[in-house]
Amino acid sequence: MNRPHLKKEYYGYLFVAPFIIGFLLFGLYPVVHTLGLSFTDTTLMKAESNFIGLKNFQRLFADKTFSTAITNTWELWLMNFIPQIGISMLLALWFTNTRLKIKGGGIWRMLFYMPNLMMPASIAALFFSLFSFYGPVNQFLVRADLQAQAIDYIRSPAMMRGLVVFIQWWMWYGQTTILLMAAITSVSPALYEAALIDGAGTGQIFRYVTLPLIKPVMVFILVTSLVGGMQMFDIPMLLTDGRGSPANSILTNNIMMYMRFRSSQGHIGAASSIGVMVFIMTTVVALLIFYLLREKHDGKEIKA
Amino acid sequence: MKRLTVLFSVMLIAAMLLAACATPAPTEAPAAPAEPAAPAEPEAPAATEAPAAEEPAAGKTVLNVWSFTNEIMTMAIAFEGKHPDVDVVYTMIPMTNGEYQTKLMATLGTDAVPDVVALEAAFVKSYVESDFLADLGDLMPITQELKMYPFVYEVGTDPAGVTKAYSYQATPGALFYRRSLAKEYFGTDDPVEIQALLSDMDKYTAAAAVVKEKSGGNTYMVASNGDFMNLFYANREQPWVVDNKLTVDPMVNKMVETVKLFRDNGYEAKATQWQEGWFAGMNDTLTDAEGNPKKIFSYFLPTWGLPYVLAPNATSADGASTTVGDWAVVEGPLPYQWGGTWMGVMKETKNMDLAKEFVRFCTLDEENLTNWATGVYTNEYLKAIDPAVPEGQYQAAGDFVGSQVVVEKIMAGFDESDLSKFLGGQNSYGGFAAAAPSVNARLMQGSDDAIQRALNDPLNSYLEGTITEEEMWTLWKDAVRNEFPDLIIE
Repeated sequence: MNRPHLKKEYYGYLFVAPFIIGFLLFGLYPVVHTLGLSFTDTTLMKAESNFIGLKNFQRLFADKTFSTAITNTWELWLMNFIPQIGISMLLALWFTNTRLKIKGGGIWRMLFYMPNLMMPASIAALFFSLFSFYGPVNQFLVRADLQAQAIDYIRSPAMMRGLVVFIQWWMWYGQTTILLMAAITSVSPALYEAALIDGAGTGQIFRYVTLPLIKPVMVFILVTSLVGGMQMFDIPMLLTDGRGSPANSILTNNIMMYMRFRSSQGHIGAASSIGVMVFIMTTVVALLIFYLLREKHDGKEIKA
Repeated sequence: MKRLTVLFSVMLIAAMLLAACATPAPTEAPAAPAEPAAPAEPEAPAATEAPAAEEPAAGKTVLNVWSFTNEIMTMAIAFEGKHPDVDVVYTMIPMTNGEYQTKLMATLGTDAVPDVVALEAAFVKSYVESDFLADLGDLMPITQELKMYPFVYEVGTDPAGVTKAYSYQATPGALFYRRSLAKEYFGTDDPVEIQALLSDMDKYTAAAAVVKEKSGGNTYMVASNGDFMNLFYANREQPWVVDNKLTVDPMVNKMVETVKLFRDNGYEAKATQWQEGWFAGMNDTLTDAEGNPKKIFSYFLPTWGLPYVLAPNATSADGASTTVGDWAVVEGPLPYQWGGTWMGVMKETKNMDLAKEFVRFCTLDEENLTNWATGVYTNEYLKAIDPAVPEGQYQAAGDFVGSQVVVEKIMAGFDESDLSKFLGGQNSYGGFAAAAPSVNARLMQGSDDAIQRALNDPLNSYLEGTITEEEMWTLWKDAVRNEFPDLIIE
């Protein structure tokens, strides 16, 4: 019997092939294509397009709106991520704490995760109606004498930014909590017991046992949240007029890119240049995160 | 190795990110908030359902039609009635925040492109000026026969004189006011006398002061600043772009001055056009935060505003409050036009003759236009052709059509119509017919919509008092530059 057969070592390649093909087709190709487009003046309304070198990028850097969009995106992400990781960590610690023994863990987890299941479109529409000039928030606050007169919240930059931050936090803290709980429970109880016997306090256990061991998950959360944050789009897009109003206060990178794309000519070349900038920015920051939070083994890298 | 893995995973995540960036999916949010003064034709009442296309039937020629309301679907079904061998596959995508335009633009040059497209006033010019629409010049002789208002085909004609789109409507603007309030504040509700009181902008402003004083501040002259936009934009002398240069006509300055005056003096209710408060004023259920009832004296709306906006919203959702019969219509302080739907054929269509015939039927067919305007297309009528027609699909009488021949024939019939009862016995069609010939499309350009939308946010900040007028113009120019990189802006 001498049937031709694949050597067992090659099975692995077979298994990863669907992903690799999918990645090349839907991951790498769009990246390369976008990069190519960003050097042209391609629009959707005209058939011909020209290579214009770095002109799109020149225009972008000369454009004050772009720096506004970048600053906004970072501010909106950081303002929701910092409280998010703090509160999620606190919740995760409480719910995994063996001494607190909180009942109904599953139900709590479900409640935390719930906002994430709702459509961003309906959430945005809900908040828009709640806070509109003739809306219920104004009616309640004025009638309860908490506010002298109705305020046009939708026209208030601080209020709208606050709302975007709150909604983003509210939609994603459950996800983060669940990830952190999974990470904490995967730490061997023997380590906690050993620490307890050695006389470590709660703070010390968290600082020297929990934190170092869940670091890979923290890096994952940080990077995925960063990627999501740099692409923040649906809530700020749908909350007001889709142009980042009032006064460009919730104009994010992706809203700006989308505005180029849907302008009356459909400037996809110029839109791509924004996409490329966001890509570069996110990649650099993500690499920085990996570098800063890398595993340190007394200076010696362990061969993987 | 480990570093490589890390690098690879970062690349991977980043690539996914960019892949997502590269193809922004058009958002189809039915409830997406719109900025005031979006010169968008609102969705007809039943058009709020999710965009959906029916399944094509077997053995029939399929004609793909895209539109941003479900209006044309009525004509599509009537068309199927005349052509049993044709299946019109109708796709409705709302345009509240530009979803329709985005989706249509993204399909240009692909197989997904429809045969026939509906084009709204806000963006019809950019398509007419592009190479994507087929030449429909051979339908021109019919426009003479039916004495179409020039506006109906001039908008659809490109600078080289090729006509690519036609409309079934003419859309002159008007001013609608509440009869009971007019009697209370001006002692008369007679349209002739009220028109004399409001015949120019200064008189309108003076009347606003009277309304405020006599109502103790509880009645506003107008609901939103968006009401004024089309009024002033239509009366400019120069278009927005002259010799590739952004141009601000004095009328635009006059508009800013007027809306500021109305805001500062409390003549305007601070509602947002196309939003709850704006509609609440139509059925008298507007209440401020303290719970005091507020009233709106007048609305600036065009022909289509009567059957599609005012009439459907004149009764509150619970039926407790209604203003039906309490309205009247006059020309108002300035003549203007607003909106309109044009229809064109995409060049790539595989059914050129059929697509052309569809456009002809919808826009230049005397029988269809008559049926359309006089309420022949009831739900029962449509159900007899296609039993699968949804309940709310029908065309009520009253849309102002683009053919003078049809208008003259049907005008008298409107004396007793529901819409005339809505207007306290006034024949709206007669008023529109008087205004229609003055409507022109001389100033329309493809970039209008984007340039006008860009002014909304800075203007509102200026009205709030958070920025100065100078800052407003700077912000607006920045926003325009953002969308038109090649435009010269001083």
